[in-house]
Amino acid sequence: MSKFIFKRIFYALITLFIITTITFFLIAGAPGDPIAAKVEQMPEAAREVIRTKYGLDKPIFQRYKIYMKDLITTGNFGESIIYTGKSVNDIIKENAMISAKIGIIALALQLTIGVLLGLISAFNREKIGDNIIRVLVVLAICIPGFVFAALLQYFLAFKWKLVPVFGWGELKHYILPVLAYTIGGIASYTKYMRSSTLSVIGEDYILTAKSKGCKRKRIVKKHILRNSIIPIITMTGPAIAGIFGGSFIIERIFSIPGLGRYYVDAVSNNDYTMVLGLTIFFAILYVISLLVVDILYGFADPRIRVTDSEA
Amino acid sequence: MDSVKSDIKLTDDIFERVGIDEEYSEHLDKPSITYWADVWRRFKENKLAIFGLVLLIVVIGTIFLGPTIAGKDYQYIDASIKDQKPSAEHWFGTDDMGRDIFTRVCYGGRVSILIGLLCTVVMFFIGSILGAIAGLKGGWVDNLIMRIVEIIGNLPYLVIVIILTIVMGRSIFSLVFAMSITSWVGTTRMVRGQILQLKEQDYIEAATALGASTGRIIMRHLIPNTLGIIMVDITMSIPGFIFGEAFLSYVGLGVRPPQTSWGALASAGQQKLMFYPHELFFPCLMIVLTTLSFHLIGDGLSDALDPKLRK
Amino acid sequence: MQNSNNKEVLVEVRGLKKYFKVKRKKFVKAVDNVSFNIYKGETLGIVGESGCGKTTCGKTILGLYKATSGEVIFDGTNVHSLKPKDKIDFTKRAQIIFQDPYSSLNPRMTVGDIIGEGIDIHKLYKNKKREEKIFELLYTVGLNKEHINRFPHEFSGGQRQRIGIARALAIEPDFIVCDEPISALDVSIQAQIVNLLMRLQREKNLTYLFIAHDLSMVKYISDRVGVMYLGNLVELTTSEKLYDNPLHPYTQALLSSIPIPDPEEEKNKERIPIHGEIPSAIDPPLGCRFVTRCKFAKEVCKKDMPEFREVDKEHFVACHRV
Repeated sequence: MSKFIFKRIFYALITLFIITTITFFLIAGAPGDPIAAKVEQMPEAAREVIRTKYGLDKPIFQRYKIYMKDLITTGNFGESIIYTGKSVNDIIKENAMISAKIGIIALALQLTIGVLLGLISAFNREKIGDNIIRVLVVLAICIPGFVFAALLQYFLAFKWKLVPVFGWGELKHYILPVLAYTIGGIASYTKYMRSSTLSVIGEDYILTAKSKGCKRKRIVKKHILRNSIIPIITMTGPAIAGIFGGSFIIERIFSIPGLGRYYVDAVSNNDYTMVLGLTIFFAILYVISLLVVDILYGFADPRIRVTDSEA
Repeated sequence: MDSVKSDIKLTDDIFERVGIDEEYSEHLDKPSITYWADVWRRFKENKLAIFGLVLLIVVIGTIFLGPTIAGKDYQYIDASIKDQKPSAEHWFGTDDMGRDIFTRVCYGGRVSILIGLLCTVVMFFIGSILGAIAGLKGGWVDNLIMRIVEIIGNLPYLVIVIILTIVMGRSIFSLVFAMSITSWVGTTRMVRGQILQLKEQDYIEAATALGASTGRIIMRHLIPNTLGIIMVDITMSIPGFIFGEAFLSYVGLGVRPPQTSWGALASAGQQKLMFYPHELFFPCLMIVLTTLSFHLIGDGLSDALDPKLRK
Repeated sequence: MQNSNNKEVLVEVRGLKKYFKVKRKKFVKAVDNVSFNIYKGETLGIVGESGCGKTTCGKTILGLYKATSGEVIFDGTNVHSLKPKDKIDFTKRAQIIFQDPYSSLNPRMTVGDIIGEGIDIHKLYKNKKREEKIFELLYTVGLNKEHINRFPHEFSGGQRQRIGIARALAIEPDFIVCDEPISALDVSIQAQIVNLLMRLQREKNLTYLFIAHDLSMVKYISDRVGVMYLGNLVELTTSEKLYDNPLHPYTQALLSSIPIPDPEEEKNKERIPIHGEIPSAIDPPLGCRFVTRCKFAKEVCKKDMPEFREVDKEHFVACHRV
């Protein structure tokens, strides 16, 4: 088992290194002048000062070395070009929690509701309840997140005035973004939970449990849930990483000052240092979450370890 | 039984030996049909899948014939008819520059579907070739390919797509490149898994024993047996790419004006959601209908291909 | 091994080893130093419990697996050092029939194409002649013309096994490895297939390597029988001698497990039970492979591997007691 964990951590580190390197060179080599966005009309001398400040006067490999050294030793992601004086770390500190709050609430809702609906659907297979849930799931999967957001905003906030359209700070501001964020997730969790539960129900060991007089509750808890939840665990890894990144679109539509919005803004404003810093931050979160889920998965499902060590 | 008294005596001579009709013993009653005809028969029985197929034909028909029937130009600007509601003249209304939304939705649809198809083709080309090589060759080749797959699979998909579109500039080409370069790993995993499974089948060994070349084994045995699963995956990935395009266009990284797409149209409509909801509604409706049709077809296909897995 | 009589040797297996790598420096010794001859026109049965390496042995003889070491000499040439071109010629002469009639037929090909595949590969017949040949083969194995355009899933297990036999026969081979061809079939069908195989052998002068775990069926079909245990051949002799006078304790145990169709005799017969599980082929016992389960095991059995030698005319055995 420890060999398995070390191997995973080793691969995660390699992945991180590759992502950081590729992202750095891609963005450093991107067309256009990184500081043009900020300083349209400015004398050449002033431009030079800014260039020196961001280290843009040095050759690309040297910049890479400096950036990596800074990142590894002090955890510094760099400084924003647009928001003068603010480092990417500041932005992360100030805004990551906002994205995280929405994300955690949404993920918790998605998981509980999705797993429940999936179970209900599977246990009432081909009955009315199952059919209704399946139709809703297909519809929800086919509707992009931004369409949900728009519909909610239009009806709940604008037409019926139940909640504020924009804004941030109070509890009521959470309702729309969390709803918009949750629906798509519920649908896919329901879908996967349903099919994995159905395949477990069909297994002989469930029949055995039934035939030996196991109570229904115990069968569901001990035999079905434990096996059918495994695919859901795998799906959760990337979702946890997504929490901190926030949903790019949802934050933009509802004007929530989360990390996702900063990222999208940085992209459209050509704030290259910010894009670079946030990209690496997202990548680290993503890889760590995958790693954690991978290791948890190894504990949950002994088969994974075996096949991995034999491969 | 005592109560039933029979007058008939059972003697040997009233019995006749029937025997087996050698000719008839191997007779098959079922009419002979090919595998694909059988798949089509099962697909036809699935009303939802047929509905999806009809829906897709209608959507594609509208996209390609619509502008001719409506007789409008998608770039024609008429400032006097800004932001009109749907009418007999402008079926989907007009946008903020007085352009006919119906015609724009049709042209945008061509771009969106084209992007979806191109991405799928590229993804399957790279994915299945690498997957087949990994599965067939095994050893270090397999190891190398699967390591690359693991690393790319561990990258946060959207972030990479965003970085690539920034670096390569906004164009259909860069969109397709960014989306397919991050998505082929799934296909590689699937094809490799299929091939590893098929390689264990005795009929592959039988063909080797008969002296079949590698080429013949691939063409006659491996491809026909993986085609079904690949087809399901293709139908299921097209809507994913259409979503991806819509998302990127929505964030402002998609196709550039004057070209347009469903995502770009939705993005433009979003800004005037409160006052002219139809400008967001119609492009979204088309996205939803297209995605829905592909999903229904894909579900129907996978049921039809493997009736045992039908859940 | 001496060619003790005048029979012509078709396949000569010399010190054949086939190891599968499991982990770094860990191998499954599926076949470990096996030597025997197969004479032209005979049926050599190979028996042993599952996992003893009999199937691996059969497939390695055909070159489907690369041998770790040792040679397989087929009609004068070594199967494992063939050039690609000669390899094709070899495949035309040596064929295989599989255990599982379900996974051995490609579900996407018609019966005609399955049987015709060998004909196409070796370019034996074309068009009309090819079709006639396939009709003839279908008839030979007891199927009929109308089956040519059918797909495997439309047939029963026994019918499918006959299709597999027709496929092997299509290129008119001299030698067929029958890898447990009957163990996946219903008992009533087993006899049909065995009788078909025996009839074909007479008509086409075939040589069989018949792999099975059912001793009674092997006795019926084979001229000589070899007993395998954990990758080793422990006893090899004619069917009569093996059944009348088994020398190896493992063979004796196997034979005592065959039920006798007479209740009285069955009740009174002496059973030699084998205790315990078959050891892992990764770390087999050092001396005699059977030492862990043999009730006659002595010190010497733990240390030295017994030599596989001819103790009687045409009776080979590997045991310290004999």
